[in-house]
Formats: sequence, C-alpha cells, structure tokens
Amino acid sequence: MTESLYPFLCTGQSAVDLAEVAASTRAKIADAIALRQQVFDFDAELLEACAEAMASRFAAGGRLLAFGNGGSSTDAQDLASLFVSSSQLPAFGLTNDIAVITALSNDVGFDVVFSRQIATFGRAGDIAVGLSTSGSSTNLLPAFAQARRRGLLTVGLAGGDGGAMASSPDIDHLFVVPSSSVHRIQETQTTLYHVLWELTAAALESR
Amino acid sequence: MSKAPTTDRADRFNELSQRRAIPLTDLAGHADDIARICHRMAERFRAGGKLVVFGNGGPSTDAQHVAVEFVHPVIVGKRALPAVSLTSDVATLTGVAARAGFAETFAHQIRCLGEPSDIALGLSADGSCENVARGLAAAAELGMLTVALTGGDGGPIVADHVLVARSADPLVVKEIHVTAYHLLWELTHVFLEGAA
Repeated sequence: MTESLYPFLCTGQSAVDLAEVAASTRAKIADAIALRQQVFDFDAELLEACAEAMASRFAAGGRLLAFGNGGSSTDAQDLASLFVSSSQLPAFGLTNDIAVITALSNDVGFDVVFSRQIATFGRAGDIAVGLSTSGSSTNLLPAFAQARRRGLLTVGLAGGDGGAMASSPDIDHLFVVPSSSVHRIQETQTTLYHVLWELTAAALESR
Repeated sequence: MSKAPTTDRADRFNELSQRRAIPLTDLAGHADDIARICHRMAERFRAGGKLVVFGNGGPSTDAQHVAVEFVHPVIVGKRALPAVSLTSDVATLTGVAARAGFAETFAHQIRCLGEPSDIALGLSADGSCENVARGLAAAAELGMLTVALTGGDGGPIVADHVLVARSADPLVVKEIHVTAYHLLWELTHVFLEGAA
C-alpha cells in the first residue's frame, strides 16, 4: 500500500516527497565520501606517525585506554574491543563499567569519570585515546591532562574546529574532522580509528 | 624500495579511501529503500512502539549507539524516541547464554520485552549471526517490524527490510552501518514531522 502512494508517502499530517528525501539522502552519503577523502588528504602522514607511536607502545607492553561520551563512548568501546579481539592486545573502554561511571559521577562529578580511571589504571607507556565530536567535552580535557602527567601517549579525535581539544597542550596526536554535522563527524572518526588500528597492526607485524 | 615513501603513502590511502567509497556509493543507490524503512519506522513510533537494537562484538557497540541516538538526539529540538540495546543488560545476556546458549540470547530478551508495535533492528557484519537471526524471527512472531543491517553477501538473515553493506571488510561494513543508522534516525524524524 506504501507503493501505491509513491512518490508521496502519507505521514498522517502531510505528505513527504520520497524523491526529495532520497535525493537529500544521496547528498549526505556523497558528503560522507568527500569528508573521508579530505581527512585522508590532510592527515595521511599524521595517521602513519600516530600508528607507529602506538605500535611502539604496544610492543613495549603498553595498553590502550579509550574514552568518550554518548555515541563516542560506543566508538571508544569498539576501538578497545578491536585491539583485544582482533589483535590480542590489551585495551580497555573506560565506559565499560557502569558502576564505576555512576559512582564517580554521583560522588565526585561527571567531569572526573575518565581522569580518575586514568589515574587508577594508567601507566607510563600506555596509550590514551579520547573521542569527542565537538572537541570540547569537559571530562575529556582533564583525562588528557592526567594521561600526559602519567606519561601516556595521548591521541585525540575531535570534530568541527577541534574545540578545546585543538588548543590542549596535552594531546600528542590530534585528528580533527572538519564538518558541522555531528553524524558525518562520527562516521569519519570511525574510519579514523579503524585506519589507526589497521596501520598499528601492520606496523606491529612488520617489526 | 623502488617507490618513494610518499608514493607508498598515496597508494595506501587511495586504497583505504576506495575501500569505503565503493560500498557507500552502493548505499546511496538504496536511498529509496532507506526512506521506505523510515516511513514504516515512523508509523511504529507514532503507534507507541519502541526500537529494540542488537548485535555481537563491534555491532553491539553500534546497537548502543543507535539506542542513544534515538533516546537523546544530538540535534537540539528533535524529540526523544524510545530505544533499547539488548547488550546493555549484561546480566540477562550472560544469564540466558549460560542457561540456554548464546544463540538464544536476543530471542529470549525480545520475547520478554518486545511488543507488537515495536521495531527490531539487528546488526550483523556478515549476516550470519545465529542469535541475531533468532532475535529477528522472535520479533517477527510478535508482529514487530524487523530491519537488519548486514554486510558481505548479506548472509542468510531474514527481515522485513535488509540493508546490505557491500564490503568484505567487517570494519568498512561497520562504517557503512553507522552512516545507514544515522540516516535511519534522521529520516524517521522527517516522516514523524511530516516535512522533508
């Protein structure tokens, strides 16, 4: 019955032009392709350098700690799991334990949920990876500062103009996805950490 | 040794880019299908339904991502819609897995939590996850709308709507899925609001 209404799909209140919706969908996917190309063009050398640094840390016994909020927390968990399940390397998502997150938030404040865990788990030689689409998440900046103090390698993924992360003195490798769309930023950050994993795994294999 | 490092780098990143651009372009070819799925999802939300999302491994993090996307939209002014990811309840997941086997996990949860007006969204990078397939089957039995995001050749998973990310690389499949579910969220709101 949906088909009989083509190209207009009745929504109850008004009709939505399916062809128009499909065209805007195609435009968004074209943006997603172009944004990846733009980031690769700009960051290829930096990605290789970051992967080499991560491989050195892993080779020396370092672990990876990944963190972010909301959708970015799921990316952090995915990245950590990628290293553990595909590369048999030690990695932790700092949002994995909801008891720890809610305890720290309730007793101290949400801004310390990652920095306190880094202070607890982090060792010199580890790697801290923080993801934020805005670059200004208030719990990421103290986490990078804590990681830097403890001698962790710090890697940041941000979006837009990089936000506060762009001016942080505590991030060794920063990748900024230049888009105003949170969705396109997130999708490209997924590509960035996938590529970082792939290049890191390749760098470790070639050692 | 014959090639300069910069050429190696250009080749490497060109391949990384193409590996993604090809299946993304294929997804764009299914823009009409995506719109139709969202039209039906909007109907379910309007009827009071919720979205139930599930997957294994990396896709379990996507399931959580989809849930937070709908419950707490990143775009200010969009209404919150009910969505749950089944792997967030580790107690039930491990309990059912230990008792009835891992293949039963999602189906068991859906039989307990699912309602006929709901939507089931199953994610599987190769379309062959047994517990995702059984979850979708349990959802269909309840009368839920079933949607699957798969990859590779699509695998044997059955649903009302299946979107296939045409890549053999599970990481690229995931990336196509992220774009796909961002679009599912966005277009569902377009149909809910009744304006393109």
